[in-house]
Amino acid sequence: MPDRDTSGKQATEDLTISTVSERDLIEDKLVGRKPLGLWADTWRRLKRNHLAVVGLCIVVVFLAIGMTEEIGNFTPNGYLAPYDPNATNYEISPRGLGSPPSWSHPFGADYLGRDVFSRTLVATRISMLVGVIAVAIALIIGLILGPISGYYGGWVDSVIMRTADVFFAFPYILFVLLIMTVLGPGLWNVFMAIGILSWATYARLNRGSVLSVKAMEYVEAARAQGASDLRIIFRHVLPNTMAPVYVAIAMGIGGAIVTEAALSFLGIGIQPPNASWGKMISDYLSYLAAGSWWMLTFPSVFLTVTVFGFISFGNGLRDATDPKLKE
Amino acid sequence: MITYIVRRLFQLVIVLIGVTIITFVIMFAIPGDPARQLAGKNATPERIAAIRLQLGLDKPVPVQYFKFVGRLIHGDLGESYQLQRPVTQMIRENAPNTIQLALAAVLIELLGIPLGIYSALRQYTFWDTTLTTAALIIWGIPVFVLGLFMQWFFGLKLNLLPLIGAGDNVLWVIPANYNSFASLILPAVTLGLIEVAYISYMQRAAMLEVIRSDYIRTARAKGLSERKVVMKHAFKNAIIPVMTIAGIDLGALMGGAILTETVFARPGIGLMIYQAIGARDLPVVAGGVLFATLIYVFANLFVDLGYAWVDPRIRLEG
Repeated sequence: MPDRDTSGKQATEDLTISTVSERDLIEDKLVGRKPLGLWADTWRRLKRNHLAVVGLCIVVVFLAIGMTEEIGNFTPNGYLAPYDPNATNYEISPRGLGSPPSWSHPFGADYLGRDVFSRTLVATRISMLVGVIAVAIALIIGLILGPISGYYGGWVDSVIMRTADVFFAFPYILFVLLIMTVLGPGLWNVFMAIGILSWATYARLNRGSVLSVKAMEYVEAARAQGASDLRIIFRHVLPNTMAPVYVAIAMGIGGAIVTEAALSFLGIGIQPPNASWGKMISDYLSYLAAGSWWMLTFPSVFLTVTVFGFISFGNGLRDATDPKLKE
Repeated sequence: MITYIVRRLFQLVIVLIGVTIITFVIMFAIPGDPARQLAGKNATPERIAAIRLQLGLDKPVPVQYFKFVGRLIHGDLGESYQLQRPVTQMIRENAPNTIQLALAAVLIELLGIPLGIYSALRQYTFWDTTLTTAALIIWGIPVFVLGLFMQWFFGLKLNLLPLIGAGDNVLWVIPANYNSFASLILPAVTLGLIEVAYISYMQRAAMLEVIRSDYIRTARAKGLSERKVVMKHAFKNAIIPVMTIAGIDLGALMGGAILTETVFARPGIGLMIYQAIGARDLPVVAGGVLFATLIYVFANLFVDLGYAWVDPRIRLEG
């Protein structure tokens, strides 16, 4: 499960500002090409890591499915899948046990005769929405508080970082569960609960990087030119501290997706009739013993593959941007 | 070392104050009428009034907070409106099973250390690639999905182990009879396997960093045997970051225990919270979360102190 934070204690140690490695510089000189920028260099490194490339492909495919379904949500049908994900059809669910995969229903049909393929696709949209929006909320809070904390130091820093400590003190998923018990189930509550509880990761990570960047000469130069604190923080410091944050975003989306699935599995996340992978898994659970494996298998596989994609892409990105791991 | 302990304890106090404030805010400040929330859906007006009086909800907010903390210190976490029982009593009954599961998972988790070291020492070989890929895939499996699979495969298909339940515990957290031990295996392996994947991945990264450092090159140049270089010089330094990660990871383990217990219908804090969520029994959910948080906070205190004890750089800095 990726919903854990290891960044906190390492943040101050990791001066993860990417530099083009020496070997590549020499190579560039020999071949006579222009030295690469940060992104081109990262990409070159990432390409060598097969797992990371597989992860990236998975991420792109699932984001595309999510996007398609998001567009589908605005069509008159309300979905862009072969069948209506919520339409029941008892003819293809004799004895209430669904029907196995066939040409017309590639993932089979569930106990109410709903098309599992269509439901899984529509659920992809929910997962991607949760991942992206929850992380966006966390990022906005974290990227405001983190740099302020690192840049100003002193009591501002103490207050923000001690608050972050408190947020880290709760086991994450239990904290989310507690908030959801008070807020009640629902898509927006899931966004808010996950988003608000994850800010501390980004704030800590960024504070560490800001601390290491703020002593650099170009920041001093900006100050000497009379730039305001806000301008220095958000224009000069922040863009140079983002590499570890991009890694955390990739991992964070994977974490948010798995958290939503867990919440829905426990019955406190997405509410019916909306389809969500976690909800599908808990709904179809009892049909496994009766031999109806297809209902449970496909949402589980989708969920696992997606989370794997985000984690292995995130890990690859970390290795590719970490100067300590460059040969 | 003493300065470090004092500083760390001071930090602990601040965290505990913060945790109680947040729990207080969630329980008493966010909902429209906390007494109504705490009394449950079908409570009579008399019961709501009684709770309001009992918890001092007619007093100003700071007074309410101090009363809340006072009750916590006395081990009073309120009463489940679903079962009409003190939450503390429910936690006391359920805690041994959960602690047993968590300890077993931690023991399994330790397997990740040799696996990670092996991977790092054989970087880019067939086994390294296999182990790393397997670690990433397992790490990505949500714990409840893995639990369902284990239940289906080992319980239903092979009929080897009990599908659900916890057996009966005679000796507190120690699985004292076969029944209790057999029902521990599947949940513990489910929870532990994901942690093994995570720890071995982290251990590999830590080890790779260490074996590239200058003092390892020096040790090799001295002509030490590879075994000595790895065991005496590299291992100790590579284990330190992993210990911290494992400490932080206990939080994920706690969360995972909730889901694992739900899948395996295994009595414990997790199942207790799950059943309370269904009924929106706020005192039980909050009590369970607070209990798990306290365990987590104190476990991390011990990890940090141990860390400072083995690594002088930590206790001397700042």
